Amino acid sequence: MQNYQAILLLLIGLSMASCTDLELLPQDRADPNAVLSSEDNYEAFLARIYSGLAVTGQQGPAGASDIQSLDEGFSQYLRPFWQLQELTTESSVIAWGDAGLPELCFQTWTSDNQFVRAMYYRIFFQVSQANEFLRETTEDKLQARGIREGFWPTVDIYRAEVRFLRAFSYWHAIDMFGDVIFYTEENAVGGDNPPQQSRAEVFNFIASELAAIENELPEPGGNVYGRVDRAAVWMLQAKLFQNADVYAGQDRQSDAITALEKIINSNNFLLEPEYAHLFGADNHISRELIWTIPFDGLNTQTFGGLTYLTHAPVGGTMDPLAYGINGGWFGLRTTSGLVNQFEDPTGETDERAIFYTDGQTLEIDNISEFSQGYAVPKFTNITSEGETGSDPRFADTDYPVFRLADAYLMYAESVLRGGGGSREVALQLINDLRERAFDSNAGNISDAELTLDFILDERSRELYWEGHRRTDLIRFNQFSENGVWPWKGGVAEGQTTDSFRNLFPFPATEILANPNLRQNTGY
Amino acid sequence: MKLNLRWGLMALSLLCCFSIAQAQQRVSGIVTDADSGESLIGASILVEGTSTGTITDIDGSYTITIPEGGSNLQFSYTGYATVTETINGRSQIDVQLSAGSVLDEVVVIGYGSVKKDDLTGSVNTVEARTFNQGAIVAPTNLIAGKVAGVQVQNDSGEPGGGVTVRIRGGTSVTASNNPLYVVDGIPLPDNGGGVAGGRNPLNFLNPSDIESMTVLKDASAAAIYGSRGANGVIIITTKKGVAGAPQITYDGNFTVSNVIAGTQQSLTADQFRDVVTFAAPDRIERLGTNSTDWFDQATQTGFGTQHNLSIGGGSESSTYRASMGYQQLEGVLIGAETERINLALNFTQSMFNDKLRIGLNLKGVSTNNDYDNGVVGETRRFDPTQPIFDPGNNTFAGFFEYNQALAPRNPVSTIEQIQNGGSAYRGIGNLDLEYNFDDLIPGLSYKVVLGFDVEDGQSERFVPRTYANELVSGFDGEFEIKNGRRTSKLFDTYLTYDFSVGSNQFKLQAGYSYQDFDQFYPEYIGRNLETDAFGPFNPGIADELIVRSTIIENRLISFFGRLNWNINEKYLITASLRRDGSSRFGEENRWGLFPSAAFAWRVLEESWASGLTGAFTDLKLRVGYGVTGNQDFDDYLYLPIYQFGDQRVRYQFGDEFISTVRANAYDAGLKWEETTSWNIGLDFGFLNNRLTGILEFYQKDTEDLLFSINVPAGTNLSDRVTTNIGALRNRGVELTLNAVAIDQPDLGLNFTGNISFNDNEVRQLDGAGSADVLTGGISGGVGNNVQILRVGEAVNAFYLYEHIIGDDGRPLADGIDHNEDGAINLADIYVDQNNDGMVNDQDRRVAEQPAPRAVLGLTTNLTYKNFDFSFTFRGVLGNFNYNNNSSVRGYFRAITEGGQWLNNLHPSATFTRFSGPQYFSDYYLENASFLRLDNVRIGYNFGAIAGGAMNLNVYAIGQNLFTLTNYSGLDPEVGNGIDNAPFPRARIFTVGLRLGL
Repeated sequence: MQNYQAILLLLIGLSMASCTDLELLPQDRADPNAVLSSEDNYEAFLARIYSGLAVTGQQGPAGASDIQSLDEGFSQYLRPFWQLQELTTESSVIAWGDAGLPELCFQTWTSDNQFVRAMYYRIFFQVSQANEFLRETTEDKLQARGIREGFWPTVDIYRAEVRFLRAFSYWHAIDMFGDVIFYTEENAVGGDNPPQQSRAEVFNFIASELAAIENELPEPGGNVYGRVDRAAVWMLQAKLFQNADVYAGQDRQSDAITALEKIINSNNFLLEPEYAHLFGADNHISRELIWTIPFDGLNTQTFGGLTYLTHAPVGGTMDPLAYGINGGWFGLRTTSGLVNQFEDPTGETDERAIFYTDGQTLEIDNISEFSQGYAVPKFTNITSEGETGSDPRFADTDYPVFRLADAYLMYAESVLRGGGGSREVALQLINDLRERAFDSNAGNISDAELTLDFILDERSRELYWEGHRRTDLIRFNQFSENGVWPWKGGVAEGQTTDSFRNLFPFPATEILANPNLRQNTGY
Repeated sequence: MKLNLRWGLMALSLLCCFSIAQAQQRVSGIVTDADSGESLIGASILVEGTSTGTITDIDGSYTITIPEGGSNLQFSYTGYATVTETINGRSQIDVQLSAGSVLDEVVVIGYGSVKKDDLTGSVNTVEARTFNQGAIVAPTNLIAGKVAGVQVQNDSGEPGGGVTVRIRGGTSVTASNNPLYVVDGIPLPDNGGGVAGGRNPLNFLNPSDIESMTVLKDASAAAIYGSRGANGVIIITTKKGVAGAPQITYDGNFTVSNVIAGTQQSLTADQFRDVVTFAAPDRIERLGTNSTDWFDQATQTGFGTQHNLSIGGGSESSTYRASMGYQQLEGVLIGAETERINLALNFTQSMFNDKLRIGLNLKGVSTNNDYDNGVVGETRRFDPTQPIFDPGNNTFAGFFEYNQALAPRNPVSTIEQIQNGGSAYRGIGNLDLEYNFDDLIPGLSYKVVLGFDVEDGQSERFVPRTYANELVSGFDGEFEIKNGRRTSKLFDTYLTYDFSVGSNQFKLQAGYSYQDFDQFYPEYIGRNLETDAFGPFNPGIADELIVRSTIIENRLISFFGRLNWNINEKYLITASLRRDGSSRFGEENRWGLFPSAAFAWRVLEESWASGLTGAFTDLKLRVGYGVTGNQDFDDYLYLPIYQFGDQRVRYQFGDEFISTVRANAYDAGLKWEETTSWNIGLDFGFLNNRLTGILEFYQKDTEDLLFSINVPAGTNLSDRVTTNIGALRNRGVELTLNAVAIDQPDLGLNFTGNISFNDNEVRQLDGAGSADVLTGGISGGVGNNVQILRVGEAVNAFYLYEHIIGDDGRPLADGIDHNEDGAINLADIYVDQNNDGMVNDQDRRVAEQPAPRAVLGLTTNLTYKNFDFSFTFRGVLGNFNYNNNSSVRGYFRAITEGGQWLNNLHPSATFTRFSGPQYFSDYYLENASFLRLDNVRIGYNFGAIAGGAMNLNVYAIGQNLFTLTNYSGLDPEVGNGIDNAPFPRARIFTVGLRLGL
């Protein structure tokens, strides 16, 4: 019997000396060291910072979301970006009653607005991922992780692209929110609350970053499709400098001209002969696009981005199949404020007037009714050959962030604003656009007609629904205290609003979370 | 660790020996019930101090051979007080046992058991004989309404569906609020585990195999489970064999489930035509000519059946019990069904003069499930003037459908065409070895428990090419197969040392516990099928195949100790300490310490209290304190993780699509949620324990509440991070009363009632203590929330506008300038709470809560001769529901919303006359208190039949017979206070019989 007791005693001893190992590492996910020990994954990480502008998480079309502050599909970067830039202007209204959405059309948003919140967190998601990339790809880290030196130059180009993407999002930040929190790769994850910096300081940071990376990036056309090159840097510089008065109280029109001339003189870009082809499923083949955010029905799926821009404007008597999609979402239309910019809104003369009017009224009594206001099937999932994209649920169409026509209009505007350049060239560029639109010189303008007011209107005709309008109206001081269009201010005939609406409020959640942040005036 | 398991098994295989008892003297007699005089079958008789024992036969008689040195006989029977008789040379000893007596009742408390009298914590046991009965699939329903402070609520009427159990309110917001379930010593993963293909994971247990369920409510009792005890513990003990001749029991029944008509939830075809005529006149031409009650089309009378067969018996040194169960139950929604086959085996063996006891439990279950396709909401929305079939159009397999993407879908088509089911298998087993070192050190014993828990399941969903969603999307059918495999291994070991010093009795325990959990969830989705012929079973034919999987591992390691100290039977002290390690935390926070202490005072044992013994038969005061933890949340949250994207979120670089990798947000300093609680209890008995009761007060403070909060943008890698940020408090009072009103041989009547009040409050939400967090997402729009977490308010309190009620008793309709200020806005219909002249977000107010303020249960048992009759009422008070069914379809514009079809309305629209949605109106907030007749049973005992060969009982049971409530929805009992067209609860009738051989 004593034997058994001995065994039991042995058991006791063993159990008391048992396992206390609690270090369990995941097997289907990996830590930074494991991931960044392989060269391939640097491109994957770079691609993720680009794709922050296109998708919402690590599963398509939704799943493993990047941010949690709003329903995933609603929070895709371009979706609130587009809504904040376009719904707030004469160019569009939306029928849906989601909390905070009608308020964008009425310019009555508050700090609780979930679309403003989504935009804010998307911007800083991009910035924080970019900072993480820059932190984790220093030469010290590359060396520590055993990355061969021959790969370092490739990483250097990646780093320049990441800095561009961070500058791009910081530009959105100061454009929409003014004085914003500021931090770079110097700040650690989980560190102290970032400080708020003035709009001008962040403006200067963006400008210096762009100057620093300009020559690190390939020549125009020297990078593969989807990735940025110097032309994208010049375009962002031009955007920044043309709005420098708003951002920093500086007159930088001549710097804008310099950047735009580089683009125009690079001869790398050509106007797309058929306007509508810029917004179809195979628009990636267009030579007019300087930088796009690519989408793909099979490989880059989201409920935001071009899926939103091709589905939300379809409804009423429109046939979804005609736009290459599986069904309309009965949401977006436009107001007479945009339609009336065209002398002939049928598209017969100016082909840029892409309106669907069957069963739709021009004026809007109730923004919730899809049948009120013309529909705008500008973005479609149909190729230039008339074929449907690869998946009718998710568009193949790429988002044109920067295109040559915009550069032409910007050039003309900076010339008119006294930035130098050539008025003659400016007129020619504008007429190039009009000839493309009218398929003849019937729409050409004279030198006398080339005024700043004309530019603002022409920008709406050429670039409506492309995410520029709010910034344009603010630059011309027509967004809030001036300028009236249907439903602005929450009334059918429209009314002006307070100038503090030129900036959005910081989300209430952010004000609570970061005591360093001072809410924008008026909110 | 593997080494330990191997040693354990080796030890078992070595321990093969026989002990022989020598015959000396025979005693026989008969054991009867002291009240009824009926013989007790299967009562056990043990010679004290030995392993020699037997049980009574069908007449209640026994014969036992007394080994040398045996002087006392112990008579015991489950639920009866144990009696010890000195043999004194007698050869005939007849004994009467008293039922219902609390004396010497033993209660499991985790890693052992104590006499009920010696309990210091808040512990309630429900025995099998008082369980709810009927068509019950999930074990937790057995104790619904039976224990004060325990709320058991079916999430819906789905057969075998989820059940929410809350013990003294939830202690967490982000982590789990489910109690820990411990089955025969094996702690289960959160909420019992569960994989794809199953339903309620606890369904692996056949209710008829359960002997008792013990609820550890306060922290002084639950702290022995440390980091898993914050929400209380439910210990489930299964039935064991009893020494004696084989006992065979068969129990079979038949069930019918009916839909409860309830209040009207959508307009009839005629009503709808009228409403469309005046509210959407330009859409009249879209009305159909039919009259279809979609809800009726989607529901059925469900049938079910259940068969349980068990055999148990044993010898003096070993017992066995084997059982098999079959249950099949249809839901009242067409297509919902659950089927289960259970096998359970229990075996005990004692050896070496009872020095070594071996226990073996094995449970295996196979469940098959068919799921409904969630059509309840669609039955409320689909145009009732449309037909089921569209004879002229075979596009959608002949069903009437709208050829548009976002249109509602014909519920009958959905039911008929979409296949949705699964199957799951689970095996749980444990081997217990207990060695008694009495020879070496009297009172010292050592126990080892080796256990495993394996689950494997698969669910399949198949949508054929003819289903409308496929066709309008330009797709050719799809399927989704989800798999799940979960394994868990357990090793527990502890020493117990019982000793006394003078009138002090001590029990000391010290142990170690290891449990790990591996989970693997592969799934694949296929789209565009060449044919519908194979359903989901031929993935190769899918044009597009998406495969993904998740693997999760976690581990818990603990050291624990407990002291029970009984001072002169007057004062009882329990103290425990557990040190838990969890793999869910970083190195610095990995280990937590969870202490507890409790003190009880048996007042009647005091000499000065002798005067009270006339009135009182029991009086015990208890005070307990303990700290418990919670770590039931996602894994790897503390680790920096780079997560790869799937194939559908690649990004185009040139001609290639590049897979991506993302840096995830994390909080390296993540730690346990800790709940500190106090409990004061009073146990009392009057009138010779005809009236007994328990009164308890408690307070539970949870700190370091985990919450996913918005961090300052940029300080982490996402907008929100799960971190320890908040605090909340639960406070409450509980009263349980048992009364034996009539106690006659032919007539018995007793009442058991309980009522508990719980009050919860958010105490802190972030560093500054002032943040609000909106919760309670509703159906209708996106991102619309109707609940709030706010410091000083109840958890998930409702947060709505106060709707102004007009003179006609209706809420003011929108679109009218009621306040005549020239503008139509929210101020026309809602109260301006802050009087700033406008109504905006600032004017929403916190009002009412989804959790009940009081929960009550009442069970009555009546026996008359061979009849028995019992019923259980269950009620909750002070809880409110947001009637989302009404708000999402309760306005006229909903008719035309979405597209070129018509949507049916909730009848509230014709009362409120809202034109647009008023999601945030408190008109939709309704008191959802209710009192429900949950369970009624009537039975008749035929006694011995067929010449005494067997015993027959027949019974009839009704469940969910009626509900008293003012709530206007179909059923007041909904998940989180937001009523959103759940699976309707059924009224269930069961008839059955029970045979004993």
